[in-house]
Amino acid sequence: MLGRVVRVAVVVAILGLVVTLALAFRRDPHDIKTGTVNKPAPAFTLQRLDGSGEVSLADLSGKVVVVNFFASWCLPCTQENPALVRVYERYRGSDVVLLGVNLQETRENGLAYVKRMGMNWPTLADDDGRVALSYGVYGPPETFFIGPDGIIAGRHIGPISEETLVTGIEKLRGQAVSR
Amino acid sequence: MNRRIAIAVALLALAAALLLAARPHEVTADERIDQITTEIRCPVCQGLSVKDSTSETARQMRDLVTQRVREGKSDAEIEAEFRAAYGDWIFLSPPVTSWSGLVWLVPIAALAAGLVLVTGRLRSTDTPPVAAPSPTEVAALRERVAREEAAEG
Repeated sequence: MLGRVVRVAVVVAILGLVVTLALAFRRDPHDIKTGTVNKPAPAFTLQRLDGSGEVSLADLSGKVVVVNFFASWCLPCTQENPALVRVYERYRGSDVVLLGVNLQETRENGLAYVKRMGMNWPTLADDDGRVALSYGVYGPPETFFIGPDGIIAGRHIGPISEETLVTGIEKLRGQAVSR
Repeated sequence: MNRRIAIAVALLALAAALLLAARPHEVTADERIDQITTEIRCPVCQGLSVKDSTSETARQMRDLVTQRVREGKSDAEIEAEFRAAYGDWIFLSPPVTSWSGLVWLVPIAALAAGLVLVTGRLRSTDTPPVAAPSPTEVAALRERVAREEAAEG
């Protein structure tokens, strides 16, 4: 009798392990659902890197906002930048706003990088890292998709591709239209 | 007599020192900052606390904790702020009352299962009861013993 119970317990344990691993491997490791995802985006007001004023998230309510955390010392940021440039040009003048948030470096270094990399979208200085901490950023690059309702709909850790950017944006634009 | 007084005074001094050391004291702001940053994980490190890490991210997190302590926020409020941003993962010791708490519960459950298994195995390997030999068998055994003793001389 006990032998049978043990056999069943072992089979259940192995099945549990297999299911857990299967679910874990199906997930995109760049797509983390914990922390701030599905919650209201933490509000922020940051100065532009070039000193030409401030940008407040509250002023962008009703728009699809893509917040990209970057730094000049971050190699993956350099790798993802062409995709960001193409996506910015694609949605320029639309209801989609791309914001770059520069962290953990001097404004001079951040601004020089922005100019060198052709980043024409608003780039902001998170001098004390508080905005990054409030979003639960592990390290640059990280990208957050904020819907017109102000909720963080998605988060991408690591260098992002043009396809992932467009997919995330279009999903939120679709929601905005159907509302 | 003098020796007894000296021992009594020494014991009293020891007791007083112990009482002074054990008395509840006001926790300073620095102690609170140390305590909180010891429990928070540095997100860009491998298993290091914010207190122990020298990374820029950890420094910014320490600054945030320091500011919140000075603003009068409670430990729970400060921890809730980090939990809201990073989830339970941000704590080096996951809370028991969450999915992360499985890291505490699973070993205990495995130990209990092991104990049940071992106990069951020990019981099942107990010697089964043996029936008493019949008078015929006893007689045969006695005869055999007597024969072997006679053969040995």
